[in-house]
Amino acid sequence: MSVQPGEVVLRDGEVVLRDATRSFSVRADQARTLKGLFLGRRAAGPAPVPALQGVTLHIEPGETVGMVGRNGAGKTSTLRVLAGIVPLQSGEAVCGGRIVSLLELGAGFSRDFSGRENILLQGALYGLNKAQIEQRLERIITFSELQGFIDVPVKTYSSGMFVRLGFSIAAHLDADVLLIDEVLAVGDEAFQRKCLRRISEQIAAGTTVVFVSHDAGAIERVCERVVVLDGGRIVFDGPTAEGLLHYHRLMGTEHGGGQSLRPDRDGPGEDHRNHVRVTELELRDALGRSTSFFHSGVPMQVHVGLRVPEEVSQGWLTLELLGGARRKPR
Amino acid sequence: MTRYRYLFGQLVRRELRRKYKGSTLGVLWYLINPLVLLGAYTLMFGHVVKVQSIHDFPLFLMNGLVVWTFFQQSLLSAAESLIDQGALVRKARFPREAIPGATVTVQLITFCALLVLLVPVTVAIRGTFGPALLLVPVLVALLYCFVLGCALIVAVLHAYFRDVVPILTAMLLPWFFLTPIFFDPRTIGFVQSNPFVGTLLEWINPVAPFIEALRAILYNGQAPDWGRLVYGFAAAGLAVLLGATIFRRMEGDLAVVV
Repeated sequence: MSVQPGEVVLRDGEVVLRDATRSFSVRADQARTLKGLFLGRRAAGPAPVPALQGVTLHIEPGETVGMVGRNGAGKTSTLRVLAGIVPLQSGEAVCGGRIVSLLELGAGFSRDFSGRENILLQGALYGLNKAQIEQRLERIITFSELQGFIDVPVKTYSSGMFVRLGFSIAAHLDADVLLIDEVLAVGDEAFQRKCLRRISEQIAAGTTVVFVSHDAGAIERVCERVVVLDGGRIVFDGPTAEGLLHYHRLMGTEHGGGQSLRPDRDGPGEDHRNHVRVTELELRDALGRSTSFFHSGVPMQVHVGLRVPEEVSQGWLTLELLGGARRKPR
Repeated sequence: MTRYRYLFGQLVRRELRRKYKGSTLGVLWYLINPLVLLGAYTLMFGHVVKVQSIHDFPLFLMNGLVVWTFFQQSLLSAAESLIDQGALVRKARFPREAIPGATVTVQLITFCALLVLLVPVTVAIRGTFGPALLLVPVLVALLYCFVLGCALIVAVLHAYFRDVVPILTAMLLPWFFLTPIFFDPRTIGFVQSNPFVGTLLEWINPVAPFIEALRAILYNGQAPDWGRLVYGFAAAGLAVLLGATIFRRMEGDLAVVV
């Protein structure tokens, strides 16, 4: 990448976003027509949607940063800006070294061409020459587990094979910065584990990783730092545990979806005098600190305060954990 | 830029094979289509509506037709290229000029293949063998630059304004008839009595000097006059400069619009 005069020279793997701002037009017909151009610029329509509003971020080489936020918070926009695919309207976005994005895995394949030919093309897209790609070819094919299909047109592939090939290529390009967008739902579970392992290998080798996901568990495993985006702005930037807590609070799921775990929720108008009341409810970690975010495999203490109208000779306290459907048991 | 040489090669290969992959004759279709067109035009303008009496009319016609086909096919395929390859544009950062550039290069390959057929035949039949033939590659290079510049402009414009292809299609038909492909402007009576019409036909249309220069060499066996060569250099330089400038200025949002 050519360096413009006045531009800071970054170390390989360093990422800098300075006051990055970008909005997108959301008109139904994206393509403007000449008529629209001649007749008063832009016809009526919804105002452009700001995707990034002054995002400033500095990532050191070798850092692994998770990016979370609700849909439309600007996560993917940030990645696309970092990848140099979409330019900023103001501000600055620079990455040092080779940037590989795992965005739209499998997109850009030529359906009539074989898997092998597509590997060559995708490698070339990232600026590799023939020798550099051929040197990686065998490793890519082996990783994708597509040995038997590598010389048939990719239009015969299943969607799982498509993304497997896409991931395998992107993961073997020796990126200095790896941008990953919610793509680890790739293939079957065994392959997903393999992908995570491969990413871990690259992290160990010093690759900077920016990882967008809604899967708090995956972020927790991969990232040491979390950036929470909301409405195109960074609302939190710091250690993972704290960041995920912030994220859950933002999403209104700080109690893991257990809204019923709130004391004194009894509605008015009902006679509760003879009922047991929950006056206090707290989740604590192993050290007795109050928290509402728990890593898997870590002890959790539940403190419940009860007020009973009269002496109870025999009682049950039942705890029910709900909402586990989203996360698969590990 | 040199880093992406291999990408360019891959894009050309892919474009070359994409269209006809799976068909029996494959890449040969690139040659069959212009030859069929030649047959039709020879029949039409050489026999049915005979504009002028020209010796060896198919050769005369073919000289102009190969140049025109290259020009027209390049513009039309380049205009759609960025949208066709939208998935690549949205995927990574690379010099996007490579995409329309590859489509024009594929057309250049066809053009050269046709010349390889056309030049020996014309030279043999017309007896025009001579040192002027050395200028053919120069002309081809200049024409390539000219077409490439134009292609960059229409490609990037069409990505933003989808009216460009319909406008282009509408323009190309009258443009074809006004280009000295199947007539020689100097020998038409109307042009002889109105010399400025001849000047318009020969010099305003940037494709005309290329056709007439090639025709001078192959069909008439003369060196093309200096005016046409200088014109060719200027047109090629200007087109590339303008094309690259406009493309650079507009390519930013390509990933958003395609």
